[in-house]
Amino acid sequence: MWEYIAKRLAMVSVVIAGVTLVAFSAMYLAPGDPAEVIALARYGEDLSASQIETLRETEGLDAPVHMQYLIWLGHLLRLDFGKSLVTSEDVLAEIFQKLPATVELAIASLLISLLIALPAGILGALRKNTLLDSSCMFVSLVGVSIPNFWLGLLLIWLFALTLRIFPSFGYGSLKHFVLPALTLGSSMAAVTARLTRASLLEVLGQEYIVAARARGLDERTVLFRHALKNALLPVVTFAGMQFGYLLGGAVIVESIFSWPGIGKLLVDSIFARDFSMIQGCVLFIAVLFSFSSLVVDILYAVLDPRIRYDRSD
Amino acid sequence: MNRSFKFILIICMLLVVIGASACIDEEAKGTAEGAESGENSQELVVGIGTDVSNWYLDTFAAGDARFVWAQVYETLVRLDSDLNIIPGLAESWETPDDGKTWIFHLRKNVTFHDGTPFNADSVIFSYSNQSYVRQAVLKPVQSVEAIDNYTVKFVLAKPMPLPYYLTHVAWPVMGPGCLDEAGNFVKPIGTGPFRFETQTKDQEVVLTRNEAYWGEKSLLDKVIFKVIPEAATRVIALETGEVDMIIKVPEYDVKRLETEEGIQIHRKLTTFTDFLQFNCDDSPFNDTGVRQSVAYAIDTETLVNEVLEGIGEPAGGRPYSPVMMYSDPDLETYSQDLEKAKALLEEAGWKDSDGDGIRDKDGKPLHVSLIVSKGVWAARHNPMAQVVQGTLREIGMDIEIQVLDEGAISKLESTGDFGMILRSGYFVWGPYPKHFFVHHSASPYSHYHNETYDQLVNAADTTVDAQEQEELYHSLQTFVIEEVPAFYLVHEEKVVATGPSVKGYTISSEDPWLNLSGVYLERE
Repeated sequence: MWEYIAKRLAMVSVVIAGVTLVAFSAMYLAPGDPAEVIALARYGEDLSASQIETLRETEGLDAPVHMQYLIWLGHLLRLDFGKSLVTSEDVLAEIFQKLPATVELAIASLLISLLIALPAGILGALRKNTLLDSSCMFVSLVGVSIPNFWLGLLLIWLFALTLRIFPSFGYGSLKHFVLPALTLGSSMAAVTARLTRASLLEVLGQEYIVAARARGLDERTVLFRHALKNALLPVVTFAGMQFGYLLGGAVIVESIFSWPGIGKLLVDSIFARDFSMIQGCVLFIAVLFSFSSLVVDILYAVLDPRIRYDRSD
Repeated sequence: MNRSFKFILIICMLLVVIGASACIDEEAKGTAEGAESGENSQELVVGIGTDVSNWYLDTFAAGDARFVWAQVYETLVRLDSDLNIIPGLAESWETPDDGKTWIFHLRKNVTFHDGTPFNADSVIFSYSNQSYVRQAVLKPVQSVEAIDNYTVKFVLAKPMPLPYYLTHVAWPVMGPGCLDEAGNFVKPIGTGPFRFETQTKDQEVVLTRNEAYWGEKSLLDKVIFKVIPEAATRVIALETGEVDMIIKVPEYDVKRLETEEGIQIHRKLTTFTDFLQFNCDDSPFNDTGVRQSVAYAIDTETLVNEVLEGIGEPAGGRPYSPVMMYSDPDLETYSQDLEKAKALLEEAGWKDSDGDGIRDKDGKPLHVSLIVSKGVWAARHNPMAQVVQGTLREIGMDIEIQVLDEGAISKLESTGDFGMILRSGYFVWGPYPKHFFVHHSASPYSHYHNETYDQLVNAADTTVDAQEQEELYHSLQTFVIEEVPAFYLVHEEKVVATGPSVKGYTISSEDPWLNLSGVYLERE
């Protein structure tokens, strides 16, 4: 087991190293001279060429690209993510400021998504091809097709404006979580429901289920003690990946609901060509994602003994 | 117990959780009524689109920051709501040598929010060599000196109508107390009617009334700026009462909000004008006739009435909105004349030789790119660009619209890889040709080179004589109409919406248009 974890950890480190390279170089492929864009933001339209050049020097943007990469890497290893080129504040500090809101929304969305998807998927599988099944799957299709921003605004209009139950924006109390989490959770729920249904159907067709029924176990025990545990394995993997994805921030939902998360921070930095912030955010999100998938892998190994014992080389 | 029961049970639990969270949590922050439901609480909640990302004089107050700055900081010279120049922190000023030297007499008995006195030293601090204003806006200023504690002298490299430059709150007077001993910025210190209290990043900025304000004290106890990036959410937040006021209402919501009970719409024509910037260095727009044909083709009146739902005034090519100082009331502007537009193109040699509806010349089709910005302030530009595209197609010009972010746009601008760019013209009010510099050959991004134009702009920039100024600005406007270095489309009208509790607000033409003096709340 520990060997398994150690091997996965090593892979995660390689992935992260690769991400640093990609994050770093991608910025220089974007159109627009970074020094110029930052100078425009700082000094307004009446720029002179000398101002741009001074900025280029002070921010170290004139060194050859691979040197800039190595310097940046060196700082990283000391956990110095640098300062934002726009606000001059510490990049890591700003990211950590946004982290709680992002994580909380991710958890809430995951919970809502599972609360919707699991019953829907299980019921769909048990009542296969009935009206209930078709309607569940239809709703799930609708859920995955509706764009986030439209659903978000629709929910705001319905619950905040018309019914006045929830606030339309902001972060701070439990009430503020519901609409954003519902928006994010619904599209996730759609896919998760289908996955649950398909997985459960497959498991229910297995021979050991037939054997369990033959032994005289009632349907409830068959379902909960035998079938579900195995059926939920791919769902766990998927949910874990989704969680990792959500940790990257859901920029559209964050914009609509004025949710202070990492996603919007990253997108705003991209438009402002704030390279230190972009690199910091991308790297941070990649690390979060890698670790969350590591956790999923470990969880999978814990839940499914076959994984644990098969990898014994 | 069968499965359907379990399912129903789970759904009920879900609903209970959601319902419970709706009922139990009564935190004042962000719930339905905006402020505490105390006795007529005077806490105004304003919805803005971006957070204040910087408070110090080393950079421009980007995004919606200047609306917050306008409550905390003040300028030496001010504009009233009809754009007349009035004293601010400077009581009077004079120029003994026709504009190269300016002496400002400062107001006495004014203190900063930290109790330190406002005097000549603070002015020198605010207009130091390192400040944004000296580096970007007031480059001709050579020195700022104190003659005595309450008199400051600005020495310029060339004559300029300096007081008009000092009205904008993006380069205000800041107290040196905003820095700590090491010289790091700590907290905003200004002289304004409100003092900075707290800021929660990307969520809100809280200001409280300045009890030691030198002017008329505000009737409000607090102003809370809530950051709401999405325009639609801002409008809904106003309708639910979560915010009392929003500073920018999308055009498509104005008619609906006007009919809603309790919501008041305030509109005012401003100094901003949207325009189409041409790339005059390259074909086809290096030919004045082609530019004029675009001017004759586009119907700016329809643009305002159909696309912008009547918000704004058609410019018809006129660069200066009617509220701008020296706007020429007799200026003849363009009205749509498609036949004339087509004739001009024919004259310029662009004919449709292959009958595909697109004109061509020397084998090249009349294909032009129109760049539009992705920025949130430019939401109306997209539909405007589409109308322009449709109209120009009628005269045989094929337009390709590209929606890009600002970084990409500046790249294309510097390389000259564009046909037209649709921009918002930010005209700072006053007798100086800041905007006209956009088309000056010396400007790094200009793609227009005309000596007469350059001379006119230079002359306008160095004269302080009001009569001369008027003549020069009228000539510049006429020039822009005739030569069309850019075609001016719409004079922007700003729209502010206030909720039922807000009383006493007057919108001004000045940027930023959030003057809260006299504003108070009447909450039921």
